[in-house]
Amino acid sequence: MTGFLIRRILQAIIVVIGVTIIAFILQNLIATGPALAHTIIGPRATSQQIHEFIATYGLNQPMPVQYWHFLWQLLHGNLGYSFKENQSVDAILGQQLPKDVVLVGSSLVLSLLIAIPLGIAQAVRRNRLVDHVGTGLSFLLYSMPTYWLSLLLIAAFSVSLQWLPAEAPQGTNVGQILADPAGLVLPIASLTLVNYALFSRYMRSSAIENLAQDYIRTARAKGLSERYLLARHLLRNSLIPVTTMVGLSLPGILTAGLVTEYVFNFPGIGLTFFNAAVTSDYPVELGIAVLVGLVTVAGNVLADIGYAVLDPRVRYE
Amino acid sequence: MAPVLEITDLRTEIRLRTSTVHAVDGVSLTVQAGETVGLVGESGCGKTTIGLSAIRLLPPGGHITGGSIKINGTEIVGLPDARMRQIRGGDVGMIFQDPMTSLNPTMPIGEQIAETVRVHKRVSHRAAVDRAVEVLDLVGMPRPRERLGDFPHQLSGGLRQRVMIAMALACEPSVLIADEPTTAVDVTIQAQILGLLDRLKSELSTAMLLISHDMGVIAGRADRVAVMYAGRVVEQAETVEFFDHIRHPYAEALLASIPQPGQDSQRALYSIPGNPPDLSNPPAACRFAPRCRYATDRCRTEDPRLEQDAAAHGYACFHPVPADDVRPEAAGLRLAAQARLRETRRTDADDLILDARNLVKEYPITAGLLQRTIGSVKAVSDVSFGIRRGETFGLVGESGCGKTTIGRLLVGLERLTGGQIVFNGADISALATRSRPAHGGGPDDPAQAGSRRRQISRLRRDLQLMFQDPYSSLDPRMRVGTILREPLVIQGIGSRREQDQRVAAMLTEVGLQPAAADRYPHEFSGGQRQRIGLARALMLDPKFLIADEPVSALDVSIRSQILNLMRDLQDRHNLTYLIISHDLAVVRYMADRIGVVYLGKLVESGPADTVYSTPAHPYTAALISAIPSPDPHSERGRNRTQVRGELPSAVNPPSGCRFRTRCAIAEEICAEVEPPVHSFGVDHYASCHFPLQRPVPPAGTDGALVRTQQDPIADRPPASGRLVPDTTGDAVAGQ
Repeated sequence: MTGFLIRRILQAIIVVIGVTIIAFILQNLIATGPALAHTIIGPRATSQQIHEFIATYGLNQPMPVQYWHFLWQLLHGNLGYSFKENQSVDAILGQQLPKDVVLVGSSLVLSLLIAIPLGIAQAVRRNRLVDHVGTGLSFLLYSMPTYWLSLLLIAAFSVSLQWLPAEAPQGTNVGQILADPAGLVLPIASLTLVNYALFSRYMRSSAIENLAQDYIRTARAKGLSERYLLARHLLRNSLIPVTTMVGLSLPGILTAGLVTEYVFNFPGIGLTFFNAAVTSDYPVELGIAVLVGLVTVAGNVLADIGYAVLDPRVRYE
Repeated sequence: MAPVLEITDLRTEIRLRTSTVHAVDGVSLTVQAGETVGLVGESGCGKTTIGLSAIRLLPPGGHITGGSIKINGTEIVGLPDARMRQIRGGDVGMIFQDPMTSLNPTMPIGEQIAETVRVHKRVSHRAAVDRAVEVLDLVGMPRPRERLGDFPHQLSGGLRQRVMIAMALACEPSVLIADEPTTAVDVTIQAQILGLLDRLKSELSTAMLLISHDMGVIAGRADRVAVMYAGRVVEQAETVEFFDHIRHPYAEALLASIPQPGQDSQRALYSIPGNPPDLSNPPAACRFAPRCRYATDRCRTEDPRLEQDAAAHGYACFHPVPADDVRPEAAGLRLAAQARLRETRRTDADDLILDARNLVKEYPITAGLLQRTIGSVKAVSDVSFGIRRGETFGLVGESGCGKTTIGRLLVGLERLTGGQIVFNGADISALATRSRPAHGGGPDDPAQAGSRRRQISRLRRDLQLMFQDPYSSLDPRMRVGTILREPLVIQGIGSRREQDQRVAAMLTEVGLQPAAADRYPHEFSGGQRQRIGLARALMLDPKFLIADEPVSALDVSIRSQILNLMRDLQDRHNLTYLIISHDLAVVRYMADRIGVVYLGKLVESGPADTVYSTPAHPYTAALISAIPSPDPHSERGRNRTQVRGELPSAVNPPSGCRFRTRCAIAEEICAEVEPPVHSFGVDHYASCHFPLQRPVPPAGTDGALVRTQQDPIADRPPASGRLVPDTTGDAVAGQ
């Protein structure tokens, strides 16, 4: 287990270095030095202001040196200082991240809660009405762009029916967000539906595969009831491949969140990233790149742990 | 006494998308308490469908369309599902074929047994667990309480099957249905499991339906036999009566196509021509008529009923085999009498086409961050043997003994850890050895290495491999012609036209139409695919063919076709065969000489008949004794020398003699000293401290030479396991 963790931590370090190097190069291709300072401070910036900006952020140094400086600071848990927000990147991420945990976490849990039983039901009643409806629904949702789905939800529930607000709750911390549950419904629903579409397909095919296995026939031959059989024998075995997939799709869910947050104006990491990209706020962009890299590795680790919990044949060394 | 299981005129259909298969068509069977009824037949005959019908667990599309199944007097056809669930696992226990896939891999075995008890007996969790311990103990699981938390993958194959049986027995069912209970386990384990089932049946006076394709298993364990063909019972009788007076031509032919212990290996096996009928559209006449050698016009128009004669011996045939013949081998001899006699091959003991010297193969086990090697799986440990030009050498042993690895080493699919392979006088181990210069030291000149590689590649043309599974060893997306042409294309032999001609000629040789070249593998039956596999192996006109389990995936009647074909081709092309198999009967029938492998060691080798009739090594003797023979007289009277336990781990093989942990006659010395090789006559060698016969000096040599040949073997350090004394090497040098 220790060896496994050490390998994973090394992997996380490599991922973060890789991601940040690419981001650094790309950013330097767009704008560096005075050009960058001009974009940040504005067209009326004096040469004095530009000089100060460049000196403050060390933009006059060669790129490798800048990168080394960034890494050194990262090692100390310091992600830098925003060009625009007058806050450290750590502070910005610390403020936004919990809100995303609410958004991404709840939609993840909800989509699994829907996808797992529905996937099993579809597998058990394969090629019957439930299965056809489920398959149609998940194909429809999966092929739909996230922003389009979000807009449809707004059109239906906010504009036509006027049941729910079109904008996510605004606030700087989780408490303020949770204080307005109605505003959370549509953003969470839109992310949930997208995830459900993918998860239910996996769950269905995994359950179909397991239903055909000999051990299910053995369990039936023991006289177990169908419900007991599904809950005690089929569920755990069918979840094994799905766990891996959920872990691997974690960064994808975070990116899907970017679009959703923009459409619903949800004040989270996604919206922050979008705004930082528009305003060339490089330190914030880099910080979020590091975060996504870490989430990717964390998703992998979670998948591996889930795998080992579900399948006694798997042991990590 | 009313039968516990009573099946009357059962009809079961399986509805597929385009057709309906009449899998079981009017079968009647009864099983009494304390009785074992053997249901025997080839795949697709409907025997498994009967078992599944009796617990109403048919595959998708399966329906019982007629007849009745009564269990303890309760009619189960049409019984509500809730009542049926009480019968499954309660009144009827089911044992399935493959214990690896038939147990839930993510649930502890204790739980899997206890849940059956909880469902049926409505007892507390604790009581259910106690019952699980009780039945595990009953089926011979050592220290059952400690094993409750084990998962199936932590148990060996034999123990897993015991768990399966414990599960079936947990609620004291009155009927036990065992569907091929030992087909997935090794022959020594098979003997243990069948013995266990036998004991349990009489102790608990359970009614047992034993479904098997193996006539030998049925002969030894069943009280009555029912033979199925194409969805029907064609013959039914008390076991001894059945084997003594076989009446139905199919049963007779089936028995004649199995290589038997007393089989004259000079004769071709009988093989049933053609294939079973398509059950989605069964003929309205005798279903066996198209393949039957006694068939008349009446058989082709009328449907024979299952008739009972005075001795309650039923058979569905208009022209039954005369009843005066006794003994199963009579059938084989009578049918084989028509078959062509084979000439005895003459081989020269000094003309080795392949010489395997001290082969070693170890797979490293790595662990930790840096993947350090912490141990190794000793798959092949110092195995030496020579194969003579034109002979058939058979390698036998249980699964995991290393026999397949040896085959893969010889063809270069695995790299040698140590040892040398000389083929046709040339050392071909250079490519097969990891980072070891072939001759002398020093780094290889790349150009030289390249030319040597080409040279070895040419040599390898003469050494081909035939695979076990005809279903997975042919690319499903390639036409047969392309598959067969591929070896020629790779080796750059001939023009396209010549290649096509060769493909057509080869297909004809293996008994297929040349037009088969345009079809895909899935259009052929298992036997036909194995013919294609054989054709592919012979495309390059090799001198030496390694056949790894060439017939294990095939049905009995198809097996004999392939074995006969292999012998034909051997005679015609002067081929040398190495046949690797777990099936001692097949190997004995095919091979001139046999090598017995146990846990990476060659423990005995010698002429096939000698090894078979007078084995010197206790392992060989036990292996032979474990083979079920289709003769109830010898099967029942036999006092089996059972092998205890199961194959130990090849990571830490036992010290001294590797077989000692399972040997009935092992003593202290067996754990301390690796047994030397003794000679027991011409070509017959075994390594054992307590061989079953007195070692003799090799015949035809004078005393002085015997001394020099014997001494190097006896004086050799225990690590050496060479079984064929090298008369040209150190023995002479010692003088």
